[in-house]
Amino acid sequence: MFYPLQRHVAYYHKALLYLLCLLGLAGCATFSEDGGFNEVQKTTQRYIKQTPVWANSNEVKQKSAEQVKALLSPPLNIENVVQIALLNNAQLQADFYSLQLAEADLVQAGRLPNPSFSMLYAKHRGDYTIEQSITMNVMALFTMGKATAIEKKRFEATQNNMVLYVLSMARQTRNAYINALAAKQAVDYLQQVNESAEATYQLAKRMHEGGNWNKLEVGREQGFYMESALALSHAENACIQAEEALTALLGLKHPADFKLPARMMDLPDAEDNLKTVNRADFSKRLDLEQTRLQVEALAKRLGLSKTTRLIDVLEIGPASVLEGRRGDPVKKGLELRFELPLFDWGTAKVKRAEAMYMQRLHQANNQAILAASEVRAQYSQYMTSFNIAQRYRDEVVPLRKSMLQESLLQYNSMLMSPFALMVAAREQVAAVNDYIEALRVFWLAESDLEMALVGSPLDSEGSVL
Amino acid sequence: MMNRRKFLQFAAAGVALSAVDKTLLAGIPEPVMMGNADTQPLLMPNTGRPYQPVATLNGWSLPWRMNKNVKEFHLVAEPVKREIAPGMVANLWGYNGQSPGPTIEVVEGDQVRIFVTNKLPEKTSVHWHGQRLPNGMDGVSGLTQAAIEPGKTYVYEFEARRAGTFMYHPHADEMLQMAMGMMGSWITHPKNMNMHKVDRDYVFLLNAYDIEPGSYLPKTNTMLNFNLWTFNSRAFPGTSPIVAKQGEKVRVRVGNLTMTNHPIHIHGHEFEVTGTDGGWVPKTARWPEVTTDIAVGQMRAIEFVADELGDWAFHCHKSHHTMNAMGHDFPNMLGVSQQGIAKAFSKLVPDYMPMGKTGMSEMSDMAEMMDMPLPENTLPMMAGKGQFGPVEMGGMFTTLKVRKDMAKNDYTDPGHYAFPKGTVAYALDNSEGLPIEHQAAPTAGEKPITEFNVRKPHKMSHD
Ligand SMILES: [Cu+2]
Repeated sequence: MFYPLQRHVAYYHKALLYLLCLLGLAGCATFSEDGGFNEVQKTTQRYIKQTPVWANSNEVKQKSAEQVKALLSPPLNIENVVQIALLNNAQLQADFYSLQLAEADLVQAGRLPNPSFSMLYAKHRGDYTIEQSITMNVMALFTMGKATAIEKKRFEATQNNMVLYVLSMARQTRNAYINALAAKQAVDYLQQVNESAEATYQLAKRMHEGGNWNKLEVGREQGFYMESALALSHAENACIQAEEALTALLGLKHPADFKLPARMMDLPDAEDNLKTVNRADFSKRLDLEQTRLQVEALAKRLGLSKTTRLIDVLEIGPASVLEGRRGDPVKKGLELRFELPLFDWGTAKVKRAEAMYMQRLHQANNQAILAASEVRAQYSQYMTSFNIAQRYRDEVVPLRKSMLQESLLQYNSMLMSPFALMVAAREQVAAVNDYIEALRVFWLAESDLEMALVGSPLDSEGSVL
Repeated sequence: MMNRRKFLQFAAAGVALSAVDKTLLAGIPEPVMMGNADTQPLLMPNTGRPYQPVATLNGWSLPWRMNKNVKEFHLVAEPVKREIAPGMVANLWGYNGQSPGPTIEVVEGDQVRIFVTNKLPEKTSVHWHGQRLPNGMDGVSGLTQAAIEPGKTYVYEFEARRAGTFMYHPHADEMLQMAMGMMGSWITHPKNMNMHKVDRDYVFLLNAYDIEPGSYLPKTNTMLNFNLWTFNSRAFPGTSPIVAKQGEKVRVRVGNLTMTNHPIHIHGHEFEVTGTDGGWVPKTARWPEVTTDIAVGQMRAIEFVADELGDWAFHCHKSHHTMNAMGHDFPNMLGVSQQGIAKAFSKLVPDYMPMGKTGMSEMSDMAEMMDMPLPENTLPMMAGKGQFGPVEMGGMFTTLKVRKDMAKNDYTDPGHYAFPKGTVAYALDNSEGLPIEHQAAPTAGEKPITEFNVRKPHKMSHD
């Protein structure tokens, strides 16, 4: 809908002033210097030490590449892998551009449609008429304030999502690193087992060739060897898969571009050194924050304005969050302030708006329940996996070691055969291998718990991505 | 093995009075306890009728008290710690501080009263194996008497009617209590000191235990697979030697309370079996032997003149019984090289040593050379050090040491025999290339079967 505006030159400056004034009222709808990325970086650092970098210029690109190169030169550690991913992961770099897109929408919404300007110059019998005209969408002028507010919410939501993408990427990378380390160590151990199994089989073969043993006895040892060789093949394959997954997340061309350390991170000494979960951590969940933004944006879009009261969505249904140490009774109704406004439907003419809003509100309720449950479950997973790994470290592995030591003493006194001694040795190795697996599960649980305290990225409709 | 000086020290400290409550046991002779497992000096009788006492190999005789005309002994049945050989202690049940219990020596016709105090956690009884006595004194719990409950003292009283060699052991929960080491020897000397007179008279029991390497308590349900075969609950190299002066007449009385037979064998001499549990063998019925099989529950008294100087082996001839705990699952690895394999093994077990290629000696050599650690409280399968090297024996093995000069009542170890020059087997100097490879004789009309050539002796090596 266009409304031509025609003014004589005399009015030109006045009109321009008016336009600028309108633009000013609509809020600084211009492109920011950082594209909103500083805010993303800042929020990210509430959760992790590493900084995401948006390589949107050649200069930054080069700097990032140098940083990645430096980080890749020593063997990786769990902090560095996250930093590399935040610098180098291709998907993440692509995601960062949604920020630019959202900002573009925001700026667009805050701008008047391009006015068309024309000047008429006519000379008729010696009279001059100069006619200038500016044509623009006047309706846009009236709706501009509202549109800008909506796009602003959307932009904030995108920023929020961006933080979640970054944190989710951090978690995926951590997990991939943990998996790759465990897979590599499993290969190391199974190689040892396989080597001993092969030697045992060779010894058995010599026993058979010398007439000391029959075919059945050799077959038994050959069976052990075959089993261990197959187990090694499986482990080697799993290791390649795990390393490839990490390579992709780090945005690298080849697994040879990085070096893994020899050993997995040690288990924390005692339960006292573990993370605790409290209310403050829970209320930091970004997806809940984002939901609030989305609900508010929805209200605005629906033209709802008269707030009757605020409700805590967690109170709509039952919810409880574990607080304190495991084994403490679960505290009912954690006082998480997750409040959303209710509106006076009486004044809202459109029933559809009520339905849409209430639907969104209940979705938010469900989201809060799931979030609370997720935190509890991940916390339990974390503590349980610690206790299991601790048992392996403090009981199972030392027990197998001492049993192997006893077996060696028995072998020394010719009470136990070298074949039985090797069985004890393999059992000890298996215990170490089980410990590494338990350690892997523990570190994944820690990583997952951290993510449970952050939340999952949501789409614009509020569904978990 | 013990030297003379050490023995005297032990003898001085050996017999000690126990701390049994005197008021509680008023009228009961104080029990005498023994603190070590070596052969103790003879108990010379200073009351009662005279006799020539026995030497209990790795044991002792129980002192008595004369109460009017009755010889009173006090046996205390109790848990004990018995040193099987240096480096291994067994948690056994026994009497008066040791297992087996002390030898009881009386004279034919003696009136004997034995107090038996039960300090075990379960009831017991004492059966006087082989003796003529009133049925109510035979010690079969339930059958001839009520069992002795823990904490109780029972009195056995009878006349030692028949001279000879006997044994005593429980007849209550007998299988467990005997597998735990409850037994002892009993000698009834003849009234006439000149009857069956010898210069040295030894006695001991054969016992078997099943003690898992690294543990202390016998597995009492074992019936055949014992891993410790002992002379008086002592395994070589912990066994004391049988010593004699050249020309002395020696008697050795051996009672078998294990669950299998033992062919007892002597080197360098012939002997005659002169007595069984049933009595003396008439002279005309004796025949010469170098080995006599002693069946389960039997006693054999053998006699010989120790006229050959030297250190003579004296042992059970079942070769598995002259070994200490060994692994029945250890495969025979003769001739199997572990070259290249041991290296892979030691990646998982850094202290791995390949053994068995040339025989089991490797183990004793290895243990000696490398100080290879064994499980706690476990004797090496074979051990003992002679003047020429490892003896590689264990279990039911000791030595008969015959010397030119040995004082009458000296039972201490005289040390290694000094061999006269030129009387010891010697190595041939084969540096000249003397033939050592046998040639198989070709069978008539056929080609030689070379596969059956005897293998060249291996040099000891570990790869
Ligand atoms: Cu035997």
